[in-house]
Amino acid sequence: MNKISRRGFLKSTAGTAAFAIALSTSPHILAADTDNSGNVTPCLRFTADGEIFVCVPIPDMGQGMITTAAHIIAEELDLDLETTHIEMMSFQGHADATGRAAEGPMPQGAGGSLSTMMVWGPLQATAAYARELFIHAAAIQWQTSERNLTIKGGAVYNKKTRESLQYRDLVSHTRQAEYAVLRGNASPKPAKDRTRIGRDQRNVHAQAIATGSPLFGIDSDAPDMLQAVIRRCPHLNGSLVSYNRETLLAMPGVRHVVEVARRPDDLTRPWLVPNGLAIIADTFWQAKKAANAAEIEWDGSRAAAESSSVLKARMVDHLENGTPADSTRGGDIDAAVKNAAQVVEATYYHPHWAHACMEPHNCAADVKEDSAEIWTSHQSITESINAVAAATDLPIHKIKSNVMRCGTGFGRKYAPDFIMEACLLSKEVGSPVKVTWTREDEMEQDHLNPSGMYKMRAAIDNDGRLTGWHVRTAADGWIRNAAKEPPMGLVDNFLGEWGYIENNVRRGPWRGPQHNTAGWVIQGFLNEVAHAAGRDPLDFLLELFSMKDVQKLDTWPYPLLEYSRFKKLLKTVAKDSKYGRRMKKGWGQGIAIYHTFSGTCAHVVEVEMLGEKDYRVHKVTSAIDCGLAVNPLGIRAQVESGIHDGLCAAKYGNFLFESGVPITNNFDTYRKMRIGEAPPEINVRIMDFGDEEPRGTGEVSLPPVIPALTNAIFSASGKRIRTLPIAENL
Amino acid sequence: MTKINLTINGQATSFDGDGDMPLLWHLREDAGLKGTKFGCGIGSCGACTVHIDGEATRSCSIPMSSLDGANITTIEGLADGARLHAVQEAWIEEDVAQCGYCQAGQIMAAAAFLKDVPNPTDEDIDNGINNLCRCGTYFRIRKAIKSAAQKLQNA
Repeated sequence: MNKISRRGFLKSTAGTAAFAIALSTSPHILAADTDNSGNVTPCLRFTADGEIFVCVPIPDMGQGMITTAAHIIAEELDLDLETTHIEMMSFQGHADATGRAAEGPMPQGAGGSLSTMMVWGPLQATAAYARELFIHAAAIQWQTSERNLTIKGGAVYNKKTRESLQYRDLVSHTRQAEYAVLRGNASPKPAKDRTRIGRDQRNVHAQAIATGSPLFGIDSDAPDMLQAVIRRCPHLNGSLVSYNRETLLAMPGVRHVVEVARRPDDLTRPWLVPNGLAIIADTFWQAKKAANAAEIEWDGSRAAAESSSVLKARMVDHLENGTPADSTRGGDIDAAVKNAAQVVEATYYHPHWAHACMEPHNCAADVKEDSAEIWTSHQSITESINAVAAATDLPIHKIKSNVMRCGTGFGRKYAPDFIMEACLLSKEVGSPVKVTWTREDEMEQDHLNPSGMYKMRAAIDNDGRLTGWHVRTAADGWIRNAAKEPPMGLVDNFLGEWGYIENNVRRGPWRGPQHNTAGWVIQGFLNEVAHAAGRDPLDFLLELFSMKDVQKLDTWPYPLLEYSRFKKLLKTVAKDSKYGRRMKKGWGQGIAIYHTFSGTCAHVVEVEMLGEKDYRVHKVTSAIDCGLAVNPLGIRAQVESGIHDGLCAAKYGNFLFESGVPITNNFDTYRKMRIGEAPPEINVRIMDFGDEEPRGTGEVSLPPVIPALTNAIFSASGKRIRTLPIAENL
Repeated sequence: MTKINLTINGQATSFDGDGDMPLLWHLREDAGLKGTKFGCGIGSCGACTVHIDGEATRSCSIPMSSLDGANITTIEGLADGARLHAVQEAWIEEDVAQCGYCQAGQIMAAAAFLKDVPNPTDEDIDNGINNLCRCGTYFRIRKAIKSAAQKLQNA
């Protein structure tokens, strides 16, 4: 074997390193990562018998991040994903000053539609660095110049001798004892040489999924694991008073009955872990049966007044009598209204939505005196580690987190509660414990999409142009986007005001947080205004987006909107859908566009009314601006998915409380569309604006599909939907 | 309780535990067949769909006590050895799965459906398949069912 001077190599290749990734001897390595002997950079691992694993940094909840990340790595290393294994990358972050797990240069959690955008640079550079290491090792092996070498077919190829060296045969040459810090300033492939990016890559787990392989957190078992079912307090901010402990302990298979304390214990703060009673048995069914037999007295007094109708009435009251918490303004809205040829006013309202994650939350935990290991479906490797630390007080380097494929997440699987529960119980009873939520748990203990009400006012001049825009919101979450986003700042005279309604409902991120409803309110009302002005909605939008070229948004992640792109998207969907053509009676088209985080999407929805109270969406035509299209097949899947999720929530989403207790807690009471209501035709166009980097995709198609639908319903029936869900307000 | 004799994926087996336990948990916990998924526990979503004597059935709502003599096929037993079922092939080719959690149930439902309706129209699919998918893969499921129907007819 030829000796390689690691130090010399690093010196010659490091230069001004774009980033550094800590590996095996770093103090930040977690229990999971003590053996990196087969790694060549964090994105490739080789087993002793030469099997290749591509290591992907961000969990997959259906948004396709495992496939997308593998696609990026495969591009740089010319790997065939049909014959390589794929696994999650080990934790690459570090402990921050407070001891919490913090991300380093390689992002490891999914949120904000940012995953592809964030890993694009670091993953390319890491994989390109692995390529450099292989080429360097091969050059020494062959005693030739690196200039003679390239990669081909997943191997290093000698252009002069036409010999190949498999990566696996070079691993021991690239690996050194002091392989502590990998520095990558290697150049990714030039765009013109790419053979994979921009081309379709199927879901790399397609075969495993179609044959029922155990890929998900819920499929994971630890040796000698006990099964827990928890009866969590159904009352908002309620607590456990008494229960039939002896009866439960006598039931078949039951090993432990454990009270789970509310965390935090301060009742004035939102709870992470609800107060409840855990029944721990040998099998899930034994635990479930005993949980069903538990006779529990709860104290539900703290939120006994909180029925959904009461929460809605508080919003009405706030809009009529309350004072906004804050506002944004420009020009003179009062003068604009006073001088208007026409003023349009309307009030919009949407109820709470549940996530209804397909895979109920679960976590298996093995907590020992000085270490812990978990198996779970979670959106973030980093936050899964922090959840274990919060429950066990263990330092993060003693924690091993096995993050599995997630049966959807939608923002809910970012939360720590199910991991904390499993860790608290495993620690308490001294053996591995798996907590599996039932569907009722998943809905009753959800962190809901906030409910909100919006007073909208628009001023129009004699030419039917928008001259003033006023939005006043009352919501039980800090959802300000509807009151802060364009037309605010696009028209000269605007006022956005927002108020926050206190209650005990737990809210959290739900696919496209804030945007998911702001898109409907803004684009729905703009459609009303266009009709009031006697204008075609498409012309009205094109005129609106001609008022400025660009606009920097005052909402996270503070993107710069380029309105030439908006207009191109609108014109594209209009053309592709033959927008404006004559429709049969009872049929209608609706158009809408909205930006979500860093991406923008436009749709035309075609709907047929089915009598007075129902409708069918027959076709959706879409155009998305998501920057560089890394995997078009996956992007189309995400656009289709967001369309569907939006159509579902708009039609049926209505999570209800009665006296502080959820009364919608399974698919019989919280309805979702099945194939018989889904659009049979969806045409997606991925726009190419020449971007060199990807933007967001996963949440982007959802917000505009709701106003496109309600606008289509108006066109088909003359009914303006201002209150969701549609099924109850037609 | 009395002993229940049943066949799972061609293997004769028996069960003498709690007869109230739904088949789903026998498959997942006793038989180690994790492909069949828990979704709702009330027979609504269909993530737990298996074939019982050839019929697509929601296994979360079928007690073990009712299964004496039953012949059960799960997603793990759908393929003919290494040769995938036409529905599985179509699912892979159409890139149906996003998260993938409901897809075993969808595939089992589609495989049974195509035995009854070998050449389905859109309306047949609308009325014959009602498994829930939260990723909204219905658009590709529809294409895959039609493609699988073609495969089965050409076989």
